[in-house]
Amino acid sequence: MTRDNAHKRGETALEARGLVKRFKTGRSYIEVLKGIDFDAKHGDVTMVMGPSGSGKSTLVAALSGLLKPDEGKVSALEAKDLWSLPTGKIDKFRLDHCGFIFQGFNLFPALTAKQQVMTALKYQGASPGEQARRAQAALESVGLGPRVNQRPSELSGGEKQRVAIARALAKNPNLIFADEPTSALDGENGQIVIRLLREAASVRGAAVICVTHDPRLEAYADRVIHIEDGRILDDVRRTPDANPAPLSH
Amino acid sequence: MSLALATLLYEWRRYMAAVVALAFSGLLVLAQVGMFVGIGKGFTAQIDRARADIMVLGPGAKALFGGPSGLPRRMIPLVYSHPEVTQVAPLDGSGGRFQNILSPEQQAKEEARAKRAGKGEKGGGGGTARKTEFVNVTVVDAIPGYVTVPTDYTQSMIEALRRPYAVAVDETALKRLGVKKGDKALYNGKTIHIAVVTRGYPNIIQPTLVMSRDTLRMLGEADIGQRVGPLMVEIKDPARAEIVAAQLNKKADGKFRAWTRQELADANSNAMLEDQIIGIMLGFSAFLGLLIGVAITWQTLRGAIMANIKEFASLRALGVSMGDLRNIVMELSFWVGIVGVFAAGLLTWGVSLLATMGGVPMYFPPVLVAIVAGFLVAIAMLSGFLSLGVLKNSQPADLLR
Repeated sequence: MTRDNAHKRGETALEARGLVKRFKTGRSYIEVLKGIDFDAKHGDVTMVMGPSGSGKSTLVAALSGLLKPDEGKVSALEAKDLWSLPTGKIDKFRLDHCGFIFQGFNLFPALTAKQQVMTALKYQGASPGEQARRAQAALESVGLGPRVNQRPSELSGGEKQRVAIARALAKNPNLIFADEPTSALDGENGQIVIRLLREAASVRGAAVICVTHDPRLEAYADRVIHIEDGRILDDVRRTPDANPAPLSH
Repeated sequence: MSLALATLLYEWRRYMAAVVALAFSGLLVLAQVGMFVGIGKGFTAQIDRARADIMVLGPGAKALFGGPSGLPRRMIPLVYSHPEVTQVAPLDGSGGRFQNILSPEQQAKEEARAKRAGKGEKGGGGGTARKTEFVNVTVVDAIPGYVTVPTDYTQSMIEALRRPYAVAVDETALKRLGVKKGDKALYNGKTIHIAVVTRGYPNIIQPTLVMSRDTLRMLGEADIGQRVGPLMVEIKDPARAEIVAAQLNKKADGKFRAWTRQELADANSNAMLEDQIIGIMLGFSAFLGLLIGVAITWQTLRGAIMANIKEFASLRALGVSMGDLRNIVMELSFWVGIVGVFAAGLLTWGVSLLATMGGVPMYFPPVLVAIVAGFLVAIAMLSGFLSLGVLKNSQPADLLR
């Protein structure tokens, strides 16, 4: 299951057309996404920025197969119309291709760092030996080699987020969705986390879609999309800084 | 280690309520099984601990009690004619009215009490020292090592019973009969003497007197006619009991049935459990146990799953299917059940120690224990099944806030 997509760099990994999502509040509907077009390429870190309530999280949920949009079409990798697939197929798609990093780390309190990663791999059908090997490698790649047998209660916030990243990266996903991955972390740890995401895009050729309202992360992005009130305001392609200023609060 | 097992071990406090509920459900059922079977054993203690390897009952008898179990006296030589049989003795028994005899001081107290009651003081009737009870009588042959003598009777107990009109009473019956060791008492109007106090022969339904066959004869109640009670048979090699019993049955040609001691013990406890009232009581407690166990275990599991719902949702996001999450929950409930079985075993062991101290011996047949263990795991799994609905709350989109 080791897929490296470095050769695909620059190809479109994910494309969405005319996404509309409404939520019911009381008797009225609030339109959170108002016909959004979006695309993301292999090897890019695409930053989705905007104030809270702008619909950026909803956009990621619709792109990643977690929340069905009311209108519009998402085509991702070989799935030409993701939302036309049955639920089981969408689950399978996420299992094969998607990695998620959330603001809360969502690690099982009972499992050690290594077991967290192994659990995610188990459902991909990896043998126990392979689970252990890949989990160890993933944790070492995020700098947690010496802490593989610690439980979340024994890890700092930054370390927990790195475990969550290892859990997402161990699957070798083509699509990585990160929702405010640094907002619960201090500057130093935030920097480690965003560098790891940057690396996943540059080295492995994954399409990284990162939702944030932290302007300092812009320095790491290939592309910055500003979204406000359910619409895309602007879409800027840029070259990531070679030596970005350190993140600190 | 699987996610379910690791979670149970690490967050055991969260699952404690479920385990305790299961343990008490198990105790509710097991303690009653233990008590009923223990009482049943009390009935047959003398037979279970007899030296007989084989017991011969009438042809239709299904157990030692609850049916005609005796047979004609002429069967005794027929059983003796088997070359491996060394001793044959019929069980004998009787029953009648037992009264204690009060000492002069007790007598005086009783009279004073009666006088007060006569003066119009109400409620003076209870707690009288004068007892009248109906008792069972069983016999032993007061010969050391004889086939009818229980294995735990000591030489001195047998010597004491050999004296005319000497009887043995179990320690659990002393209070009920209002006597102590060395007292005199009346049995069917004749004076007897409490010479021996036994241990471990409780009979909750009716107190039992044990006396020698000769004492029973002197009381005029022994079987001297054509019919005798079940035969106790000793053979040369106890290991061959099954073979000899089969050979005796062949020889009997339907005139009697030979049982090995184990066969008869099993038949006795089965007869006990098939008894209507006991079956209803056990069934009802099992139902109560199920109800309480499921209710508490279900709610505990629900709460515990809700506590980890975000982690489950993150697995959903990573593409783990709902079916796999359900399997995790079912596995978790299975392990809760297993831990519950051990907790129930521990509790029941404690209660049975207490009960034995209080003179109520409990006995747990392995088959029934296995059934109760299975029952507890089933309760846990059923609770897990009911909790599956909570997983609907594991919406990964909720994590994107």
